[in-house]
Amino acid sequence: MRRPVLVAFLLIVATSAIHAQSAQPATKDSCQHHFEGYIRDLSTRQPLPFATVQIENTNQGAVADEQGHFSFTNLCQNEFDVVVSSVGYKQAVHHHDPYHETPNIFLASDSITLQSVTVEGKSQPGQLFSGTVESLSSAEINNYHAQNLGDLASNLTGVSMVSTGQNVVKPMIHGLTSNRILIINNGVRHEFQSWGQEHAPEIDVSTVDNISVVKGAATVRYGPEALGGVLLINPPAMELRTDWQGKANLIGKSNGRSGEGSIQLQKGYRRIALLAQAAYTSQGDLHAPDYILSNTGKRESSLSMGTRYHYRSLDFSAYFSHFAQNLGILRGSITGNLEDLANALESKQPQPTSSFTYAINNPHQEVQHDMVKLNGKWNGQNQSVDVQYAFQNNQRQEYDVRRGENNARPAIDLTLATHTLDMEWKHPELLAWQGSVGLQLLYQDNNNRPGTNTIPFVPNFNNSRLGVYWIESKLLGATRLEAGIRYDYQFSSIRGRSYDNSIYRNEISYQNMTATLGLVREVKKGHVFRTNIGTAWRPPNISELYSYGKHQASIEYGLWRYSTNENNEITTTNVLNQHDKAVPSEVGIKWIGTYELTTGKVQSEVTGYVNYIRNYIYTKPAGITQTIRGAFPFFIYDQDDAVFAGVDASIRLAHTASTSSALQGSFLWAKDVTNNENFVGLPPMQLQYKFSQQLPKFAFFNGANWGFAVNYTFLQFQTPRTITVREILEANKNNTPLFAEDNNDFDVLPAPSGYLLAQASWSGRIDHFELGLQVRNIFNKAYRNYTDRLRYFADETGRNFIVSVNYSF
Amino acid sequence: MKRSPIFLLLALCALFVTSCKDDEVPPEENEQETITNVTLTFTPDGGGTAVKATWVDADGNGAGKPVLSDITLAANTTYTMDISITNLIDPQNPENTTDEIDKEKNDHMFFFGWTNGLFTSPTGDGNIGKGFRDDPINYGDSVDDKGLPLGLETTWTTGAAATGTFQVILKHQPDGIKSATSDTTSGESDVDVTWNMTVQ
Repeated sequence: MRRPVLVAFLLIVATSAIHAQSAQPATKDSCQHHFEGYIRDLSTRQPLPFATVQIENTNQGAVADEQGHFSFTNLCQNEFDVVVSSVGYKQAVHHHDPYHETPNIFLASDSITLQSVTVEGKSQPGQLFSGTVESLSSAEINNYHAQNLGDLASNLTGVSMVSTGQNVVKPMIHGLTSNRILIINNGVRHEFQSWGQEHAPEIDVSTVDNISVVKGAATVRYGPEALGGVLLINPPAMELRTDWQGKANLIGKSNGRSGEGSIQLQKGYRRIALLAQAAYTSQGDLHAPDYILSNTGKRESSLSMGTRYHYRSLDFSAYFSHFAQNLGILRGSITGNLEDLANALESKQPQPTSSFTYAINNPHQEVQHDMVKLNGKWNGQNQSVDVQYAFQNNQRQEYDVRRGENNARPAIDLTLATHTLDMEWKHPELLAWQGSVGLQLLYQDNNNRPGTNTIPFVPNFNNSRLGVYWIESKLLGATRLEAGIRYDYQFSSIRGRSYDNSIYRNEISYQNMTATLGLVREVKKGHVFRTNIGTAWRPPNISELYSYGKHQASIEYGLWRYSTNENNEITTTNVLNQHDKAVPSEVGIKWIGTYELTTGKVQSEVTGYVNYIRNYIYTKPAGITQTIRGAFPFFIYDQDDAVFAGVDASIRLAHTASTSSALQGSFLWAKDVTNNENFVGLPPMQLQYKFSQQLPKFAFFNGANWGFAVNYTFLQFQTPRTITVREILEANKNNTPLFAEDNNDFDVLPAPSGYLLAQASWSGRIDHFELGLQVRNIFNKAYRNYTDRLRYFADETGRNFIVSVNYSF
Repeated sequence: MKRSPIFLLLALCALFVTSCKDDEVPPEENEQETITNVTLTFTPDGGGTAVKATWVDADGNGAGKPVLSDITLAANTTYTMDISITNLIDPQNPENTTDEIDKEKNDHMFFFGWTNGLFTSPTGDGNIGKGFRDDPINYGDSVDDKGLPLGLETTWTTGAAATGTFQVILKHQPDGIKSATSDTTSGESDVDVTWNMTVQ
């Protein structure tokens, strides 16, 4: 099965190589290049009209129009330097090459010390024109002072976060998270122990330059698991021919008494560009309005370095990053049996709560992620070949509260090594069709490291995966049509230990075809409609098949670790395989439609979506087991069909040249359609209003701005039934089989009520320095978040004052 | 010129697909957190046959039900009760958890609960539940470093014939949770077992 696909791909690539060679010497129609861009004011970010743009060493020039737009046509070269100048502004030299279309050139006024900069336009993130994309710029990211990646991503409409306390936060797109969304970090599929809800992606927010979300089913381009969408995260681009540029940031936060520092240095020579970043964070115990959240400190450090070498039509880059975290988890969230859980829920504040400390005790997680990436790109006449290899090494150690010397040993100790090789050929336009074909390979090795003194929760496994895709698009008048198709094959080999240390093994393969179809139509000027329908899939995760035993506060059994007899009783003695119980892969089909309206003052967008997922894997309660520790509810993995549908909407209004408002909201409707039941822990409806104003120069400030935001989170009304812990204990005592007749999901507490959060910020610039002040949760509101797994034990964090100093040159 | 790097890469990806088979099995771990056997030994003061009560859960965290034996004691007799806790999940590696608990007496404490009337000493129905920490229990063994009881050894005097239940809870109260006032609502339960008891 594997061979024919490989041979087919060999043929495609070989043909393309030959084609590329024959296309190379073409000269007569080579004066067809086109170059355009926008000029803006660096301080105000507004268009700068009538600047002059000159191609160096030629007599070709252009003048920007009122919108700051300029363009050149019929150019014979596709790589040159342009000189941009305007009266009262510092001149900028921009190196243009065919990799980057439509640059935004920001000119700095003579009166400020900052240099003019260019932000190169990227091709549509995600490369699927019809998939709805939303982004945060580098300036917006700087203003958020986000605690972690999940916190940052939740500023994108339609993206929310699921958390296990304050330090372990995962992004969720349209109600899907973990291994149903993909994170592409710096062009590489971020591979980590994504299966657990308490496993956050190991990406340092302080190194993120821009972040986008692709909300459609983008599996065709990115591979399995992208059922909900894709998060694209990028560090700063490595630009050629730029002066030394640097940034240093210091941030202090009152809540957790944390200090964060980061530095970034960049330099671009004629052929070589360099980038280095480093960051460190130290945080102590956070506090809720009424008590300290004991053991919620964290330490984070990161280092990354990159270099790019550019020679004619070739571009090479190498990148290395290291990230290490030590995350404390609320001590009061650790409970034993159901009786302990009932006690914890009835306690006014989490037990035990101690005085403030920077020390991190059990439970905590120590996680490391290293990445090496090598990228090579060849850019030909209207075509390009991109080859990228990446190696990632992820180590995860989770420490629980245990007896004696076992406290010094991790209860989970995993190492995951991933190799990926991605190749893509963007072919020359053929009969007005633009497109690309690609090959993606992945090899993954997951091992349990010895010394945990507990039977591994997940087995060792190796995954080999191959994917080939083909995406084409064509412009028909005001409509761009797009279609794509993909094939994936995955082979896994598994070795694990059963509860009595006996060894089990299995080998299993999954394969799938996926397709996407979409269109983008400019209905009239400023009105754009995008729609896309696409399929997506993912093979069951190893943990969903094989997990066994107590993990955090519940006992769970994977799909192949339990069987049900005719009396509906669960037995867990045998390890099953595909011959005993078929576990088909999850297959989703997602429709998404977006209407964008952009006028001079208004920018608005409405997105609707429906995602139908077959064989959706989830856990449900199956009974109460009596262990030595007392009674525990246990959960089994099962498969049913699910629907996720919803609406995201946002509107931005520029009231005057210096004031603007934004209103955004999202609503998700989700159901287990097989059982007509609700899921636990999905985000409720949210509304946010933001206001910002630029302030004129005053005193020694060159400029300043201030703003505020209010965010209302509604009560989640789509919840499963509530069965209190006392009710479960009572049923267990009376031998009432609580889940025999109705084994639908339940929650032990109702969803927390809605809440309003407010924050305000101010920042001012003095030459190279920018000073920022921010207050979060201004009213010190005590609230609980429905998508936080620790909502049973403690309130979220209270008021937080943030002071930041940023130095850049 | 342009073709060679592409072929090199193709060779590389072919290597990927037929990638070497890894056969590493997770290491054998000595499961220390699990407890499979709890034995209560009631030794009558002044001699006689000891009464043993057991609790066995052979599959640890599995869904299988534990097996308990009922406790039958003689009326109007004083017993010394010893608790033994072992882990036999891996028969090759039996583990004595009792010693471990004794070593960590500063972080552990046994609590007891029973049907009122089974015993004349201690009186009452035990010290389980919020605020009942100081209800009578005849803790017999050595105290911990703070002078607080552990409870591996206790003494019991039965009354007249009666039937009821007898509950043993072992609380893990590390990080300074164990105090003169900490009760069963603090810390995590390492053991929570209830037996049927008959005094005749």
